[in-house]
Amino acid sequence: MLVAYHPAGIHLPELDLWLDPKEPVERAWISHAHSDHARGLHRNVLATPETLRLYRLRWPENEEIAQSLQPLRHGESLHLGPAKLTAIPAGHIVGAAQLLVEQAGERLVYTGDLKLMPPLCGTATEVARCDRLIIESTFGLPIFHFLTREEARARIAAFATATLEDGGVPVFLGYPLGRGQEIVEVLANAGIPCAVHGSIARFLPVYEAAGCRFPGWSPYEARNTRGKALVLTPSMRRGLEASGKDFRIAYVSGWAALDNARTRAGAEELIPYSDHAGFAELLTMARESGASRIDLVHGYTEPLARILRQQGFDACAPAAQVSRATDEEGE
Amino acid sequence: MDRLAQVCERVAASPGRLKKVAAVSEYLRDLPDRDLARAVRFLSARPVDGGERKLSVGYSVLRDAALCATGWDAETYRICHRETGDTGETISLLAKNQPGAEPLTLEQADQLYQRVLNAGRTALKVEILAEAIRRHRPLTIKYFVKVITGNLRIGLQEKMVEEAVAAATGLPPAAVRAANNKLGDLARVALSARKGTLEEIEARLFHPMDFMLAQPVAALEEIENPGEWLVEDKYDGIRSQVHWSGGRVQIFSRGRDDVTQAFPELVEVFEGFPAAGIVDGEILAYRDNRAVNFSVFQQRLARKKVSASLRESVPVAFFGYDALYAGGRLLLELPIEARRAELESMLGAVGHPIYVSAVWTATRREEIDAYFQEARGRGNEGLLLKRRGSVYEPGRRSENWLKVKRPFGALDVVITAAEQGNGRRATMLSDYTFAVRDGERYLNVGKAYSGLTDPEIRQLTQLLKNLTTDRFGRVYLVKPEVVLEVAFDGVQKSPRHKSGYALRFPRILNWRRDKKPEECDTLDTVRELYEKAVEHNG
Repeated sequence: MLVAYHPAGIHLPELDLWLDPKEPVERAWISHAHSDHARGLHRNVLATPETLRLYRLRWPENEEIAQSLQPLRHGESLHLGPAKLTAIPAGHIVGAAQLLVEQAGERLVYTGDLKLMPPLCGTATEVARCDRLIIESTFGLPIFHFLTREEARARIAAFATATLEDGGVPVFLGYPLGRGQEIVEVLANAGIPCAVHGSIARFLPVYEAAGCRFPGWSPYEARNTRGKALVLTPSMRRGLEASGKDFRIAYVSGWAALDNARTRAGAEELIPYSDHAGFAELLTMARESGASRIDLVHGYTEPLARILRQQGFDACAPAAQVSRATDEEGE
Repeated sequence: MDRLAQVCERVAASPGRLKKVAAVSEYLRDLPDRDLARAVRFLSARPVDGGERKLSVGYSVLRDAALCATGWDAETYRICHRETGDTGETISLLAKNQPGAEPLTLEQADQLYQRVLNAGRTALKVEILAEAIRRHRPLTIKYFVKVITGNLRIGLQEKMVEEAVAAATGLPPAAVRAANNKLGDLARVALSARKGTLEEIEARLFHPMDFMLAQPVAALEEIENPGEWLVEDKYDGIRSQVHWSGGRVQIFSRGRDDVTQAFPELVEVFEGFPAAGIVDGEILAYRDNRAVNFSVFQQRLARKKVSASLRESVPVAFFGYDALYAGGRLLLELPIEARRAELESMLGAVGHPIYVSAVWTATRREEIDAYFQEARGRGNEGLLLKRRGSVYEPGRRSENWLKVKRPFGALDVVITAAEQGNGRRATMLSDYTFAVRDGERYLNVGKAYSGLTDPEIRQLTQLLKNLTTDRFGRVYLVKPEVVLEVAFDGVQKSPRHKSGYALRFPRILNWRRDKKPEECDTLDTVRELYEKAVEHNG
């Protein structure tokens, strides 16, 4: 099966199918709805129903442009030319999926953004056997160790409770899609009053449709913060700091695995829970997929390719990039 | 040690000193005596007792131990270290892939440090450390290593450990601080505090005390009430503390290093002194009644053994300016005038190579300005101003001492390379190599670490990454575009730089966004400054 790496994305020429392209194309697979993956008004879009719904929220309906959206549920398959395509849960955010492409007896898996440990919200990942694995390596260094969802749940609730008892206002900064909803889920189900910023709250219905429950949350109002845990977006930090109130900020992220996240994120509490795979999970994926060839496509591609090669894998970083591209995990 | 590591993590996550101090004091309160001393020592990031012997464990030893224990290769280690910016954290996180589980007590940690200290060969040190990394819990290892690197990086200053000791023993913080000032050994102070024998603490001869430090003043205009100050020359030498007692002499420099061996001609004189004393002052290269350029002095400092010919060619002198101990008692609490009187009576009549630094008084700022010019004329750096009636505050950068050190000059230079910082600045490009223009070329003349605000550094990081032409690990080579104004204290010849010159103590004054690289200063200017300085200083 041919795979071509372009600046605009990964292309399967035999199917004329683009994987998470950055520019508008004829036919695209969108692994999940974060804006660095779900962008561009492609003619034909293939994705899970949840991803399509979120993609549409981000891209307002435009009747001028004919666009066909084709849903593919987790576990379902469809045929495209000579190939069979199957969507497999990826655990990253709601609706996130890996794509299994089977063609002429060869199996290729494109993970998109991936989390292997079960997430707080959403479907647990499955590992598909394949010959060739195209996998992300956002946290592909052996220093990235993440909490399980149970540990994260306990840490988030404990920080909120302790801060409230101490008379402070706990603040969780999370990206609008994914982390934000997971934090609300933990707080709401622990019975901790929480106020949620609109850019995060607008996606709650999609999570509810996927089976998550958020009992008793309220919309965030800047004037009414006493006694509540706040779930806000990272860009609001400066405003909080300027207000002079006793806000205590927790940073829930894969980057919180490193102490320098404290100054970088301006947070006192670091909770290293990620919607990406940590180092051990990436190794597990590589091993359990049975792939004879592994391509690394995001983050620490070169370092992880070296480590995998040392462990006997045929691994490479086809689209080499300068180490850490962004702080903004998942967005 | 396991518990200490947990406490340190809590301190790191606690905003504000009150909570940090509370977390430490709660921990110290219940420790048995011997562990109390160990915990306090480790919290001060000192692996072994006393200041005289050093572990001799640098970053490469720690790295080798980590590689040996965890099995990762040097390249992976390098990339991981680049991301964390901290050796203890890197090693701990790497160890987490095959974590050890054996508990480590404070006593065992102490014994490990002792074994490392006594291990003669580097290979043996590596072996002992690797074994520890393999066996014990990663979080414990994080702080076990941080103690060795001398900086815990959890925002816990020694002052705060003093306060925690006070809170844990129910004594006033001022009493603990005073005792620590005298003894310079907080672990022993903590033990005395618990036993209620703090009053009996006396400074001990041949144990270095921390130096009192001066705050820099950018301009003389900042000095209010010129009459409040005693004015002295600021010497460009080695800050030193001389201890003597009945023929025994030891000289300590900042960082508590014993530098006695380097200055035999001073030792010979102090050996003949009666009774006992501790004085604070500066050692200079000194010839024909004036200070010699520091770069000449450095030639002598570079040698471990001082030959007779070196003593001849680069003679040194001691300029005393404070007395800390005399007549069997400590003088720290006495006003400076009284301490100076003691100093005069001990050193005043000795003659070369021992001097007492001259003191002036002023009533007007213009007079201070004139003193400044004269000090520069004598080959000294500038002035030190000491507040009348002030006490000696060891280890403090006090506002009772001011240093006026007008820069030698300032130049506009252009950034040619940038390097990632450490710790808090690990993700930013905060260290800059810079160059002056020579025709079409840009030739490096130095490197500066700070002077800009965090937002400025963040902005520059973005800009410099866009200008990057090549990268070698932590170092980014950039197109010469960004112009900085740097101040510096002198110009030296340097074989390391292609330009042949290096600026001394460069510091960034401004980011000159208004200037283009073509407008920066030239190599000719640097050459002229150097020649002027040599002429001036001899």
